[in-house]
Amino acid sequence: MKNGAWVVFRKEMSHFIGDKRLLFTAVIMPGLLIYILYTVMGMAMSAMMTEEVKSFKAAAVNMPQYIEEMLAQSEFEVQHISSDETEKIKQGVADGDYSILAVFPDDFENALDEYVSKLGADEVPNVEIYYNSADINSSQAYMKLVSTLDVLEDSLSNVFDINNSGKEESYDLATSEDTAGSILGSILPILLMTLMYTSCASLAPESIAGEKERGTICALLITPVPRSQIILGKLMALSLMALLGGISSFVGIFLSVPTLMSSVDIEGGSIGNISADVYKISDYIKLMLLIITAVMLLITLISILSTIAKSVKEASTLVMPLMMTVMLASFMSINVTPKDVSAASLCIPIYGTVIGFTEIFTFSVQAGHLLIAAGTNIVLSGVGIFVLTKLFNNEKVMFNG
Amino acid sequence: MNNNEIIKVENITKSFRLSAKQRKVRKLTESRIIAVNGLSFSAFEGEIFGLLGPNGAGKTTTLRVLSTILKPDGGNAYIDGKSVIGEPFEVRRRIGFLTSEVKLEEFFTPDYLFDFFCNMHGVDDEKRISRKQELFERFGIDKFAFTKVADLSTGMKQKVSLVTAVAHDPKVVIFDEPTNGLDVITAKVVTDFLTQLRMQGKTVIISTHIFSLIEKVCDRVGIINDGKMVMCGELSELTKSESLEDLFFRLYNEKGGETQ
Repeated sequence: MKNGAWVVFRKEMSHFIGDKRLLFTAVIMPGLLIYILYTVMGMAMSAMMTEEVKSFKAAAVNMPQYIEEMLAQSEFEVQHISSDETEKIKQGVADGDYSILAVFPDDFENALDEYVSKLGADEVPNVEIYYNSADINSSQAYMKLVSTLDVLEDSLSNVFDINNSGKEESYDLATSEDTAGSILGSILPILLMTLMYTSCASLAPESIAGEKERGTICALLITPVPRSQIILGKLMALSLMALLGGISSFVGIFLSVPTLMSSVDIEGGSIGNISADVYKISDYIKLMLLIITAVMLLITLISILSTIAKSVKEASTLVMPLMMTVMLASFMSINVTPKDVSAASLCIPIYGTVIGFTEIFTFSVQAGHLLIAAGTNIVLSGVGIFVLTKLFNNEKVMFNG
Repeated sequence: MNNNEIIKVENITKSFRLSAKQRKVRKLTESRIIAVNGLSFSAFEGEIFGLLGPNGAGKTTTLRVLSTILKPDGGNAYIDGKSVIGEPFEVRRRIGFLTSEVKLEEFFTPDYLFDFFCNMHGVDDEKRISRKQELFERFGIDKFAFTKVADLSTGMKQKVSLVTAVAHDPKVVIFDEPTNGLDVITAKVVTDFLTQLRMQGKTVIISTHIFSLIEKVCDRVGIINDGKMVMCGELSELTKSESLEDLFFRLYNEKGGETQ
């Protein structure tokens, strides 16, 4: 006799693979959506940050000649005005007619000299800069002007330099791996766990609560196949599909992260060169181990709730607290330093898995930690399957008896 | 029909817990309701046995106990000598369970579903192929074997449901309310199917509240009310002096049932 679990597995897979709409929504769409969403977001952010502005129309009161010359290099076109005109120009900045208004104190240069020669004075010269933060042009003009004035300020009271030896030397000792790991390790674990949960939750209620609702589960349960094998067959098929959905999401993330991250500046340079290349095959194997066990656990938990439910709608309601738990556990791991994590906390379902993901993405994985997190998932899945078998054998649960 | 006892029900009882809401609706104070109360009867090889009773009499519960869906609180039942409590897997090998409500996974084709249930029952490939050919031809399913169930007519769906339930060639067919809610053509398909099963030497047990169905297809009948067997015997013997309908209402009124 053919193994009952295998027969059920094949039937479930035939349904999942044969139903093109289901296949698309559960496996292809998650990755595709993430890729499109993040790529478009990255491109939009990048375009915003690199938008070329031909010139900034600035108005200034008492601006020294040498500052105007410095600003000219940044495409500033300065219009000198009297202090009586400031209110009118402020309105112009608010309306977008001017990029910026800079008001320097009277006799700014003498005030600076006096301040520098005394190494401090009672009153620090103050430059007032009016800008419009809702206007990209005005915001950029503000940043450029502040940056120029910072340089000027540094040159006036330069006591020591930082990282200005003039040698061709990199002071940031982090490798590109470290940088990528730090960035990816902060976003991917939460995203991955959330997407895995979404994949699992989109499939399990239909497979179990759906069969209960349609009454087709009865025909399955009066066959001579033990109910534990029926459960196993269903869980294997659901786990495989959820895994494919998780992998699809993962690929979508990795393909879109370079575009998304290219808009983020770190120490003046972009990190757009991040790609999946930074991880080795061994990292992916560890990741897959953890993903497979986590998917097993999530599918088992959702299946338990779907078995208790009388309909798909009720199952969708029952899994909501589980979704909140997954989100909570994921966000609790944000500020955790993997090396400080205790073995006991890795035994906390979901949370331990997210920490495991963080360790892998930040190249700080500890074999013991990984085994504890994966082992916890496997043990809890086993307990879950035991509970599911009990539920499947309970006539009140299965047949409202 | 012969005297080989295939179905034996021995004093089974089955009760269900009532929720507070159910108690309120039914205006009951008890926390449990007794669906079957010390029911006993037998059915023999090659006969169609009918369980006749009003709604709520315990017919469906009895058939669900026989098909191992529900466990009895007390007593026992045997299918071909196998206990529904002690040997449920052996019982499941020997039964085909059906209801008039078609409950098929609509995504699949009749061909796929037939193979699936054969595999679940451990039918070998040779037998599966020959049986599929025989049943599909007999019921005219062969033309629609590779059409999704969702795209079939109601009658054809019912035929597919019948065929998949007996794919493994069970000794006993348990049929809950076989013609309930069916149109005349589909009902005819079902009654013809029942008589064909009898001709093949199968034991069939049906539950119904339709007198004409019992009179048309059953060899023996058990009249139940409030979970108890009121009368059981050969249909021809029971209806010698009065019609089945008259007999039923006489018994029903004697037991204090309400008639309208």
